[in-house]
Amino acid sequence: MGAIKDAWQQLTWTWKPQGGRESGDSIVRNLLLHWFPAKVNKESLSFRYSLWLGTISAVLFVILSVTGVILMFLYVPSVERAYPSVKDIEFAVSFGWFIRSLHRIAAHLMVAVVFLHAARVFLTGAYKNGTAAQQNRPINWVVGVLLLLLTLLLSFTGYLLPWDQLAFWAITVGTNIARAAPLVGDRIRFLFLGGHEIGQSTLLRFYVLHCFFLPVFVAFLFAWHMWRVRKDGGLACVDRLRLRQKAEKVAPIKAKTYSLLGITRGRRVHVETSLVNEDLHTVDSSPNLTRRILLVMLVTVAVTALLAVLVAAPLEEPANPRVTPNPAKAPWYFLWLQELVSDTTIRIGSFTINGALVGGVLLPGVLVLLLALWPFFDKSSVYAVGTWFTKERRRQNWVFLILALLIAILTVVETFMRGPYWNFYWPWEAWPEVPRRF
Amino acid sequence: MKSPKPSAEAEARAEAGASPTVAKARRRFLSKLGIGAVLAAIGTQGYALLRSLVPNVLYEEPRRLKVGPPDQFPEGATFLENQRLFVVRERNTLYAISAVCTHLGCTVEMLSLPQPKSVRINGQLVEERREFHCPCHGSKYYGDGTNYSGPAPKPLACYKLEVSPDDGQLIVDFDQPVNRSFRLTA
Repeated sequence: MGAIKDAWQQLTWTWKPQGGRESGDSIVRNLLLHWFPAKVNKESLSFRYSLWLGTISAVLFVILSVTGVILMFLYVPSVERAYPSVKDIEFAVSFGWFIRSLHRIAAHLMVAVVFLHAARVFLTGAYKNGTAAQQNRPINWVVGVLLLLLTLLLSFTGYLLPWDQLAFWAITVGTNIARAAPLVGDRIRFLFLGGHEIGQSTLLRFYVLHCFFLPVFVAFLFAWHMWRVRKDGGLACVDRLRLRQKAEKVAPIKAKTYSLLGITRGRRVHVETSLVNEDLHTVDSSPNLTRRILLVMLVTVAVTALLAVLVAAPLEEPANPRVTPNPAKAPWYFLWLQELVSDTTIRIGSFTINGALVGGVLLPGVLVLLLALWPFFDKSSVYAVGTWFTKERRRQNWVFLILALLIAILTVVETFMRGPYWNFYWPWEAWPEVPRRF
Repeated sequence: MKSPKPSAEAEARAEAGASPTVAKARRRFLSKLGIGAVLAAIGTQGYALLRSLVPNVLYEEPRRLKVGPPDQFPEGATFLENQRLFVVRERNTLYAISAVCTHLGCTVEMLSLPQPKSVRINGQLVEERREFHCPCHGSKYYGDGTNYSGPAPKPLACYKLEVSPDDGQLIVDFDQPVNRSFRLTA
């Protein structure tokens, strides 16, 4: 009994440290935890400030990796066997339907949560530097935008793998939009597809990108992202704390200073500082930070698992290059692009401007570039860092929100109100039956 | 002299109806509940993930299959390539002996003896008409599958033979190994 208690103690002392020394040790001597500081600022722990969206995306990535590795044992990336292997996962493999559904739900959630995290960082001005030395939050923002693009690409490459009608035609739409890029569009598509058509080369390329290259790239950028957060002195709210507080009077320090003041009776040397008083504003990372991380992990896994059970993963008919579904839609996070593409085809007499170029390449290209480089254009002062909706950054916040809302509206319109032949249907109007080839 | 007033903390605590020990016990209980829930969650999900890797459906040849009517097998040994099996007929008895060498799994070759040979197996004198030799590492087996030379650790396996009730074909069952003396009377 004593041995069991000892073993349990050995496993769990990190989570229940006795005192400050053990708390520091549990962070510094732990492989997984040592990237956190031994003491963390109380503001950073706030759920209301950051909504812990970054942690949620990391947890979702872990869920995706674990379920993904299991699926790699069961899925076959060949055009003849991809679809049957996915059917086997759904119906013949024990808990296969659950693992696939969990993987899919976590993927969709991750795209949404990563975007929300980017929105939170923007709206709190957390991409700005504070007053501490050698901060470089703008670089971290760019790394973050890269991570967002990688997340979208990971979801896109994974979308093709079931090789059903939904997958095949969504990727057809997506890669044809990319083709509209000037000069290099066709060549990029050729390399991406491994040919002119979506076939075995495409499937294998997407599979290797999805299972190896993109996750490794994400892991590397994620490590850099977290390292930069430490280097920048923590979350941006810590800078706000530094700027807002008045100089705190620290208790007089007994100093052996033989200044004139020291000789004169009635005066003592004491120190006034405007740095953050660690004792007042920081707490031990273990257990405060570690327990919150565990809580966020638990809630994320619980919500994702619940959704995985309630929402079934679709599997349509096997991919048929000769039969196009009507309508053919891109994955939901690219639907706003598809809508723009169809709306920006401009005809002036006999001259046509390709919508794929304007709406599919130029517009999103400009938006992504603007997003990535915004910290370098932002002229607001250092007082706007780490605060929700400061007056100073009101205009940029509004523009961001309006653009995000427009994209959300386009996505919703695209999902529910575009029917066969891309005609517009109100949600209460029924879509007509479209004749299908067998 | 004024009577001592209870401190505000003690008052509040009394109002809440909780003493420090009750609060501590509640905290311990909730903590155990939480840890238990996490372990249960990890346990069930871990089981589900690992169980999914144990195959329910195999894309292989069935382990119990029909190999043809008994009349199709002439006197002597017939080699079935796909099943790596010898079906041996001695007058009206049949038995099935595996062609998979027990050393490292190569397919053994049959050597038909021009004249029957007398060999001593387990103290008994047996007449054999054929032997099995493995080309990979030189293992040698008598006609009944007994290993007598080379690196083979065990004799060749024999499998149960049955006659199918619906069409009279021979059924071999790879999941039912039998003794070397097993014979099916056809």
